Amino acid sequence: MEAKGWISGDESAKEMLGRVLSRARPFLLLPPLHRVPLRPRNVLEIVGPSPSAKTHLLIQAALTCVLPVDWNGVHYGGFDGFAIFIDLDCRFDIFRFSHLLKLRLASGSVSEIDREQNNNTIKRSSIAYDEELYTLCMRRFSYVRCYDSFEFLATLKTLHYRIQKEKAYGNCVHMLLIDSIGAFHWIDRASTCLPLRGSNRKSHSVQTVLETVVQEIRKLLLLHPMLAIATKATLFGNRAMNEAKWNLRKPDTSYSQIGGITALQLPYREYMPSAWQTFVTHRILLRPSDDHLAVSDDQNHSVYFSEWLLPSLSFLDKFIVKEAGVFLVA
Amino acid sequence: MAPLKSLEQEYPILDSNFQSFCASHDIFSVEDLLLHDLYVLAAFAEQESSSERLKQGIAQVLSIIDGQHQPWLNGIELLEDAQRNKHVLSTGCEGIDLLLHGGLRVGQLTELVGPSSSGKTQVCLLAASNVAKKHIGSVVYLDTGNSFSPQRVTQFICQHSDPAIDQAKHRTLQKVMNNISCKSVFDIFTMFDVLHQLEFNLRSQMQGGDCKVQLLIVDSVSSMVTPILGGSGSQGIHSWHALMISAGYLLKKLAHEHNIAVLVTNHTVGGDGGISKPALGESWKSIPHVRLLLSCDHGGSICNVSILKHPSMAVGKAARFMIHN
Repeated sequence: MEAKGWISGDESAKEMLGRVLSRARPFLLLPPLHRVPLRPRNVLEIVGPSPSAKTHLLIQAALTCVLPVDWNGVHYGGFDGFAIFIDLDCRFDIFRFSHLLKLRLASGSVSEIDREQNNNTIKRSSIAYDEELYTLCMRRFSYVRCYDSFEFLATLKTLHYRIQKEKAYGNCVHMLLIDSIGAFHWIDRASTCLPLRGSNRKSHSVQTVLETVVQEIRKLLLLHPMLAIATKATLFGNRAMNEAKWNLRKPDTSYSQIGGITALQLPYREYMPSAWQTFVTHRILLRPSDDHLAVSDDQNHSVYFSEWLLPSLSFLDKFIVKEAGVFLVA
Repeated sequence: MAPLKSLEQEYPILDSNFQSFCASHDIFSVEDLLLHDLYVLAAFAEQESSSERLKQGIAQVLSIIDGQHQPWLNGIELLEDAQRNKHVLSTGCEGIDLLLHGGLRVGQLTELVGPSSSGKTQVCLLAASNVAKKHIGSVVYLDTGNSFSPQRVTQFICQHSDPAIDQAKHRTLQKVMNNISCKSVFDIFTMFDVLHQLEFNLRSQMQGGDCKVQLLIVDSVSSMVTPILGGSGSQGIHSWHALMISAGYLLKKLAHEHNIAVLVTNHTVGGDGGISKPALGESWKSIPHVRLLLSCDHGGSICNVSILKHPSMAVGKAARFMIHN
């Protein structure tokens, strides 16, 4: 009878967990992005002044995405999928990407690279890596550059078909990386609004462009569950940053309470429209510190701070960028 | 902002019916379509009488849009292009070459920052003469401050050749000097003109010849932007940012698409606490690939160059060099 159908379930709990967990497996990214588990359909914004190693974090995430979990008995711990990189900054260095990939493959796991590098400097020619795996990983990295926001919108609108084409070959896209989302902010802002035919015609402004961008990415994430990571450069002055530097030792003073609602005083000026701000689900702030870490006699690495703003964690991580990538400093 | 009407000839499916359907949704050009949700538009098309044809038109527009962005490349293709085309040009200055692992990289925008008389123009002239002489490529030099000196370039070219046969030396000197094309540019709009003309020439040129542009020097980019800094009202401030960044993107596009190394110079301004910082502000920081800080000790010809930003090298790495007279 029909009523009985309501009582007997559709699937058992085991089946349901198996279905949900396989799709919503959290990504465990390398430090300093490791503190918060990220899932497909999350949108992470990495914000910081230039330079603050934002692109390096993106490259590191892309490498983790394209590497397999295991290969020939070596555990790489990757997500075994495609990564899509939309370069709005047009500054991506493929040599650096290739070198980092070779170093990751040569040692098999991240901790080993660190140990080896402290003993001797790694010469580019002498790295032994699996050629076949290297080619496989490089092919999984999809790259496009955009010189203005029209090209960016055109890319987003046609991305769905591209991803579908890859799926037809059995390849999953796990990450969408954008470097950097505020690249065309000034250009779009200064686009003059000429009186256009038709009063409801959408004018090309920061607002409309970003609303369309958010719309397109939201649709893409609905159709293809992947993690979206975007970097954003802080475009406005240093005074706020200097004030924030004084507050570093007392992190709780960067919060101000207004009648029960905690308003986070951001150490940078937010310029993205609210459509983008509400779209972002996670946010991490990077900034250079004044400290330098002397690794060897001639190598002096600058130390960067990373602070999770959304969800806000009240401590800072310190990291440096070495030849083999990003490493946390105790 | 090409109107949809102009596409009708090439794509007959975008007929007047399609155009009036789009017009009813305030869409008059392809750019308008970029700002609209095409799925929603297709849903509206469902309700029209000629829905099939309209949806075919939307599909056609989507394939037009697909041709409007740069091509997709995977890691292997990117690497092959970089290894084949994006080689390194020696600047002629050992210290800088050592610091940059070879010199200026083709496809990248390198910025030299320094106070006045820190040797920026000398490095530019040296790089120009070196590329014109050794790399059999031509150099385009955009000069904003009348600082281009043919005599200095001649000195750089002739310093390494043996003082033997005068006539042969004169001929090679002529040939090398012919490879350097210097243009005086005093404002950003003229620079846009020159760069667009260069882009047009490069695109319409066939492959090869030894007159291929290898190096583009802009000395200095900051003096082109500063005249428009004092724009009237808030609109003025926004437009200089936009012009400066558009110029930056045009330079990067020329560098990558036409395999040119771009070298620009920038001066320093006073910052917080009296420490000088590069001019052109925060938004310019993300434009160059490589930023180098130049300083020369007073009177001496020994200069210091350090890395402010590099895609693969640590900030602060420095080297010393000397420019011979």
